[in-house]
Amino acid sequence: MEFTVSKADLVRELGLSQGVVEKKATLPVLSNVLLEAAGDTVSISATDLELSIRCQAPAKVSAEGGGTLPAKKLLDYVRLLPDEEIRVKFSDTNWATLTCGRSKTKIAGLARDTYPEMPPMPEPLAELPVGLLSAMISRTVFAIAAEESRFTLNGALLVLKPDTLTMVATDGHRLALVEYPNPAGLAGEQRALIPRKAMLELARLASDAGGSEEQIQFAMDENHLFFRMGARLLAGRKLAGNFPDYERVLPRSHAHTVTLPREEFRAAIERVSQFSDERSRAVKIRFGDGEATIHSSLSESGESEESLAVDYTGPTTEIGFNAIYLLDFLRATQEEQVEFHFKDPQSAGELMPAEGEHGYRYRYVVMPMRI
Amino acid sequence: MAARDPRALHAVRTIFHVDMDAFFVSVEELFDPGLKGKPVVVGGQRDERGVVAAASYAARKFGVHSAMPLRTAAKLCPQAIFLDGHPERYREYSHRVHEILLEFTPQVSMASIDEAYLDMTGTERLWGPPLRAATLLHDRIGERTGLNCSIGIATSKMLAKIGSDFAKPNGIAWVPPGMEAAFLAPLNAGRIPGVGRVTEERLREMGVRRIGDLARLDEDFLLRRFGQWGLALAGKARGLDAGAWFEGEIGAYEDPKSISHEHTFSEDVRDAARLEATLARQAEKVGRRLREHRLFARTVELKLRYADFTTLSRSRTLPEATDLDADLIAVSRDLFHRTWKKGAAVRLIGMGVSGLDEAQGQVSLLEGGKKERARQALAAVDRIRDRFGETSVQLAAGMTAEDREKVHENPIGLPGKAPRGSRKSR
Repeated sequence: MEFTVSKADLVRELGLSQGVVEKKATLPVLSNVLLEAAGDTVSISATDLELSIRCQAPAKVSAEGGGTLPAKKLLDYVRLLPDEEIRVKFSDTNWATLTCGRSKTKIAGLARDTYPEMPPMPEPLAELPVGLLSAMISRTVFAIAAEESRFTLNGALLVLKPDTLTMVATDGHRLALVEYPNPAGLAGEQRALIPRKAMLELARLASDAGGSEEQIQFAMDENHLFFRMGARLLAGRKLAGNFPDYERVLPRSHAHTVTLPREEFRAAIERVSQFSDERSRAVKIRFGDGEATIHSSLSESGESEESLAVDYTGPTTEIGFNAIYLLDFLRATQEEQVEFHFKDPQSAGELMPAEGEHGYRYRYVVMPMRI
Repeated sequence: MAARDPRALHAVRTIFHVDMDAFFVSVEELFDPGLKGKPVVVGGQRDERGVVAAASYAARKFGVHSAMPLRTAAKLCPQAIFLDGHPERYREYSHRVHEILLEFTPQVSMASIDEAYLDMTGTERLWGPPLRAATLLHDRIGERTGLNCSIGIATSKMLAKIGSDFAKPNGIAWVPPGMEAAFLAPLNAGRIPGVGRVTEERLREMGVRRIGDLARLDEDFLLRRFGQWGLALAGKARGLDAGAWFEGEIGAYEDPKSISHEHTFSEDVRDAARLEATLARQAEKVGRRLREHRLFARTVELKLRYADFTTLSRSRTLPEATDLDADLIAVSRDLFHRTWKKGAAVRLIGMGVSGLDEAQGQVSLLEGGKKERARQALAAVDRIRDRFGETSVQLAAGMTAEDREKVHENPIGLPGKAPRGSRKSR
């Protein structure tokens, strides 16, 4: 195999594959990217067996074929080359020679026949604007469980209905739900559990897209999810198992509601939480007459308190929360005002953008802490 | 040390060490008076694995002492009556004694199930001089529980402990202030709690046999010879509470750092169901103790010892702290199945919890309601157990467990009887 590719193209596409490549690969070949030259393109693939990505760059192909090279080493080296054409030539011994200007380097590769095949993408189910998908991801991805023992929570649930698109994530302590009108229209209902890593890679692909209106094609087979954006394809194994019945834990009504300025609320929690217990990150919020007070109980480092003027006349209620959970939502949401719904120190609290025309529904349910 | 404690600047401390006499055996005698005066060994049957938890004075005459293998005890004293023991009875009586102690002073530290330190400093107007107070206490314990105890009175915990040992059985010994060194001088250095065979041997090589000899040694010399432990030794030889364990304040309430149960099978077990049942029973007991202390645990640990004594420990930190049996059972069972080599012969299995906190912390979103109902159910179960005993309500999962509980009069880690007893028997 032999081809010539521009340095800028190669760096960009290699960069997109890096997140998929496993840091500590179980199989040596999984530390590599697969390079395949055909027609007038070179395609670059990476996989960790759960998630695969394939990108393409325009190339002058003088001999078609394929080979694998260490992903990180290759990118680290190519990045340092001058902005010129790079000629890549594979030998029969799986070594590749890279020539660029006056630089010439040989890199040891591995045989391509051991490289896992990417599953073929079936007919797309829907086409969605990239901006929509990345907005849904950024509003939910932080609520995905980090503990691997809760594997059905290690991803977000995507529900496609004829007129709505819903994404839900929970770690068992809080739940983020975002719902947009479905611009594509769809017959019937589809559900899929998207693993966290696939969501992060999808978000990365989306941020590299030409514009938020660029379309992303979505497809599913029995075990995989596929997202195609132009020449780039992401294929991930679906998370197996049943996502919890999230509708059951969504509060149906709220005893009390307080509207808060998002930025001020976020900044206050951020400051106070510097003095919360390092392990639990607990802060207390007291809703009293015309005031919401955020305070940390005395810890080894000290204590802190801040209050915001609010329109509230209900009974004084003090509830403990993990500050990180509140901050996650306040950082992910864009609106200037947020609503805080609560009942008592034992019941779930709920945050959402304050009433207004957002064109979408965003609910964030967070359980209290007993402290 | 003295500077840290304001009381020490002004007054001489009055410390009681109350030690129950042959506690487990005496409790057994309350339920079966026929045992009185006979050689009795508590801890298991004569042909079983495991160790002696307690021995009656009649059995001790034959050289039987706690922590000795049961089979050795059976050889030394074939006519002894071997009992499995009733841990729940011992705990119950320990609680009763504790309550009586608290009537005398709030500054009470239970050092183990059958011994306690009391800081009686400044109680003279209430209870009279130390000897009178000790007599009142001794008699009250006897009247209310039917059990004998021995009491040591001194200006430090260490001396009080040596004193109670001196007073045994059923006596009171007082080391008046100022008499510490004179009292200690003629005693063997090995009488100092914490001085084991190794230290005793090293001291002997230096010509130190008695505590008086030790007290005459230069502190710098001891520091060079034994490091920090040498300084502690020098202090102890003068009757001071020096060195790790004795430095704690009496009555300063300390929550447990971990709670665990383990069981050595009398014969190795390969049956998964039986191992699981034992684990479930242990988890149930640990859960009960957690709730007793009003604590929640973040980490669950499993301990497994195979027939060849290979010992494995595995732990898992939970997303939410728990005090529920079902959680403890589920996690320890999962750890067990991930750890156990299927079909391998297990000699010992145990589980425990750590990362304990007074607050429940994060409430679960998905299982919150279910857990709250479980908590209420368990609270009811605990109340029944309080009234009718630990075995009045049990989980079916643990029913088939081989569940004889081992409780030791002196848990490992506390200044104990075992090493001292074994020295005396030499």
